Amino acid sequence: MYDKLNEIREETLRRLNEAGDEKELEALGVSVLGRSGALTEILRGMGKLEKDERAKFGQTANLVKKELEDAISLRREKIAAAMQEKRFALEALDVTEPGVRKRPMGRLHPMTQTYRTIRDALVGMGFTTFDGPEVEYDEYNFTKLNLPKDHPARDMQDTFYVSERVVLRTHTSPCEARALLALEPPFRLVIPGRVFRVDEADASHSPVFMQMEGLVIDRNISLADLKGTIDAFVHAVFGEEVKTRFRPSYFPFTEPSAEVDISCTMCGGCGCRVCKGTGWLEIMGCGITNPHELENCGLDPREWSAFAFGLGVDRVASLRYGITHNRLQYENDARFLGQF
Amino acid sequence: MKLPLSWLKDYVEWNVTPEQLVEKLMWRGFEVASVETQMQEISGVVVGRIASLRRHENSDHLLVCAVDVGKGEPVQIVTGAPNVFEGALVPAALDGAKLAGGMSIKPTVMRGVQSLGMLCSGQELGLTEADYPGAGIHGILILEGERTPGQDIRQALGMDDVVFNIELTPNRADCQSVVGMCREAAAALGQTFREPAIKRVKGAGSAADYARVSVLNSELCPRYCARVVTDLNIAPSPAWMQKRLRAVGMRPINNIVDITNYVLVEYGHPMHAFDLACVKDGHIVVRNAHENEVVTTLDGKERPVSPETLLIADPEKGVGIAGVMGGLNSEITENTKATLFESAVFKGSNIRATTRSLRHTTDAAARFMKGVEPVNAMLALERAVELVDQLGAGKVVGDTIDVCAADTSERVVEADAAHINRILNTKIPAKDMADMLGSINIEAKAEGDTLVIRVPHYRVDIESGVEADWDIAEEVARIYGYYNIAPKLMEGSTFSGRVGEAFRDEDKLKDALAAQGLYEMYNYNFTGPAALEALRIPEGDEKRLAVKLLNPFGEDQSLMRTTLLPGMLDALARNLSRKTGHAAFFEIGNCHFDNNPDLPEERKLLGILLAGEGEDFFTLKGLIEEVCSRFYMEIEVAPGGGEYFQPGRKGVIHAGGEAVGELGALHPAVRKAWEIDCPAYYAELNVGKLLSHKGATPAYKALPKFPKVARDIAIVVDESVTAKEARDVIEKARLKVVLDDISLFDVYRGQGIPAGKKSMAWSFTLRAEDHTLADEEIQTAVATLVRALQARLKAELRG
Repeated sequence: MYDKLNEIREETLRRLNEAGDEKELEALGVSVLGRSGALTEILRGMGKLEKDERAKFGQTANLVKKELEDAISLRREKIAAAMQEKRFALEALDVTEPGVRKRPMGRLHPMTQTYRTIRDALVGMGFTTFDGPEVEYDEYNFTKLNLPKDHPARDMQDTFYVSERVVLRTHTSPCEARALLALEPPFRLVIPGRVFRVDEADASHSPVFMQMEGLVIDRNISLADLKGTIDAFVHAVFGEEVKTRFRPSYFPFTEPSAEVDISCTMCGGCGCRVCKGTGWLEIMGCGITNPHELENCGLDPREWSAFAFGLGVDRVASLRYGITHNRLQYENDARFLGQF
Repeated sequence: MKLPLSWLKDYVEWNVTPEQLVEKLMWRGFEVASVETQMQEISGVVVGRIASLRRHENSDHLLVCAVDVGKGEPVQIVTGAPNVFEGALVPAALDGAKLAGGMSIKPTVMRGVQSLGMLCSGQELGLTEADYPGAGIHGILILEGERTPGQDIRQALGMDDVVFNIELTPNRADCQSVVGMCREAAAALGQTFREPAIKRVKGAGSAADYARVSVLNSELCPRYCARVVTDLNIAPSPAWMQKRLRAVGMRPINNIVDITNYVLVEYGHPMHAFDLACVKDGHIVVRNAHENEVVTTLDGKERPVSPETLLIADPEKGVGIAGVMGGLNSEITENTKATLFESAVFKGSNIRATTRSLRHTTDAAARFMKGVEPVNAMLALERAVELVDQLGAGKVVGDTIDVCAADTSERVVEADAAHINRILNTKIPAKDMADMLGSINIEAKAEGDTLVIRVPHYRVDIESGVEADWDIAEEVARIYGYYNIAPKLMEGSTFSGRVGEAFRDEDKLKDALAAQGLYEMYNYNFTGPAALEALRIPEGDEKRLAVKLLNPFGEDQSLMRTTLLPGMLDALARNLSRKTGHAAFFEIGNCHFDNNPDLPEERKLLGILLAGEGEDFFTLKGLIEEVCSRFYMEIEVAPGGGEYFQPGRKGVIHAGGEAVGELGALHPAVRKAWEIDCPAYYAELNVGKLLSHKGATPAYKALPKFPKVARDIAIVVDESVTAKEARDVIEKARLKVVLDDISLFDVYRGQGIPAGKKSMAWSFTLRAEDHTLADEEIQTAVATLVRALQARLKAELRG
């Protein structure tokens, strides 16, 4: 009987490795361990043995049974794993095929994205948003800003007129006058908005464009504060590695005034087509607010001091994205808008 | 302004390169836009004398010249130009020469005859008639006067200068002159400015014997200076003067005209010379024009002038328009024997008005508009007379006529050095500031912290009073160097910066629209009457109350938009014609309504435009609903809307009971006008009104604990019954269970439904807060709903 038992064991272990799938394995299990399986038969014939002998054989037979049961279940797991692998192979995808876009995102205009970046950089520095009308009184657009009628500097900005006293604002600066008249200093404002100039559209000009103005009024504001603020702001918008350069200039509403250049964002300052070989890009005008403007708005320039700066969002967007022609920003070609 | 280097060298010791000067001027606030070297491209071209010439044996139009180029043996050059002659002095380009446009010259053989170079036209040297007489003609440039063969052509023509093109800021009218700019350049280079000394010509006799001046409007003409020159000897001006005038782009004419132009460039003050014989009684009267007066100006044009215009006249007639242009009747000619040189100050604003009404401007007028000052007027006049004397152009008569109402006394202003240091955040001692001002010829003394400054007559930009501190701060800063002021972050008050609510809402709105797949547009704010007409906007409609521009680019851009539609349609049409493959856009922008006496009403509008496959009225409506849900608000749409929509497919959008916009399918006639050949859907909403109804931040509602069951019912109703009416009935039915998720999922007309009726299929869910619904409860609820629909809408349950 021991021989028989050993034979069954060996035979089963051998056939086990031949079982290729779940079904064959099942059949093998039944033929050995089933109700009329070989091993079951042997166990059934055990009754004929002596008591001592029976106990001893029983122990051995149960060990074999356990061993075979474990071997079958191990084999079953192996077969299942192999099957799954096969299925996975069949289901494998070409992951380089394009994604299915069920709900394509829209796009915000590059100017909106740029405006938000600039605005948020300034808000982080304590500036609060302020707004004013696009169709504006001459009084606010010019006179209050130290540009009385017939001031030679009025020629700097060709103006669309609605009437003798109403214009399309040529800059966001009239909001400075509105804010200085309406709010209690000290304050820091960021003023975005559309402005208008009688400029035919070309690569760098547009009769309509978006400007952003910064205004800070406090006690003891200095040119050094202006430089520091603009440096910090330029780094936030264009990156830490970008350098600034302040050149003396003139604006009627600031004194002293400066033009701010940044090191060329295209070539890093080595000189290229965008910066016309100079390594610098003119980016904004700024200065210490002219005392006349403060006086015109009812503030004592000896008590309060202010600085202001203004930049073109269109221009910053063009630099940011390398847009070569300003007209593209107002043409609204979907192939253009879809890039940002 | 154009500043020739040769002229600069008269007043400033030159010890740098042009590039260094450009950089140093930049730090002083003067932007040099370009540096031009005259005839920069030209090399290897010399003066040649045609020693002899003969016809080419194999050609009837070529000439073979022996040209003396200063090398002993003449060189042989073949030319096709017929205007050369024996003894002519011509530009000869020799082997290896470079001409305009990069052309290079090599020896060649022309029809069997060797040619060792080329004779040049003005054009081939990059010259125009303004640069040199004869340069504009077709043919070889023939040089005037005596020249040495072999001399470099640039030197021979006097075209070897370097010219700086400087962009001046409007506050520095004084630098619109060689003298003014050299003063700044000297300071920038750390040099002493060699101030020009004018030798006043005393002259013989008295001007009063020849001329007198009456100024009838001293407000518009605060100073009028004049000197008389007799025995004029009109001739070309000397080469050195012509050379300088050409370098600044002026064309030499004759000695008298050239002197006025020379002084204009050098001193920045416009002058005029009258033929004294043409001024009746030699009496100059400065007066306003009479009603209906006409003046014929130097350019031969008859110009009607109005009483606001200031004229230079004699007792009978106008002889010039003050500050703009002289009269033809008193022009200097070859026969002029005596002249009156005028150097006057005219009020800039009046000259501006004159040029506007004449629709004509001149260099002189531009100077007056930028501002001139009375002391310089006299300097310029004396300089001009000095040149007359120096050039032997005439006999200067004694005495200067000077009718002066202007204040020419020296101004002394005080500035507070401590305040200047506060403005700049510097610690510059007052004495150092005084020295800095001295370096730009502003005499200043430090008395403690006070700077006492004697303002030079030409620095009209430096104000008296409190403002002087800022003016002087600017001067100190640019001399000290902006780059020497260390940047710092602001101290003192702290601020919490904020994006205002309206700005935040606009961000959120745009993000929601982009999330719906829309592309954002930016269109110009301009439109025109034709566009409003094409949109079928009726007369009297609010959208016809457009703000008109007085100076538009054209009729089609003469109005400020009252709707975003025209700009968006232009862009849509462009996109469709370019087949860009995307036709879902939005724009948020201001529109203006000329509806009140102050500023026009400014309304921020949102336009949404959809076109193409898969889009219809309801995709547009659903998109708006979805976007509004971002603001916890719901909209309702009722029939109505503008004439640009198709009747029956348009609606007015309401939020919180207020009309906030409209939507619809665009009218075929509108689409036709923009050549859009597919259906297009447009909505326009008033952003401010819409968002005034936004919902509060929502309070959390507990999630249902018991399951809901879905049911649907189909009802047949009259065509006239709207979805909203049916929904209202369903929503308001009194049920003992909770009704959720009501949705109209199908509307059907046709087979099985009687004419004039339609079937609506509604789905919804039912649940209870505290238990799982029993079948009986569900059936009761559905039956109640059906009864309500039958009672209120005469609806029948569809089998």
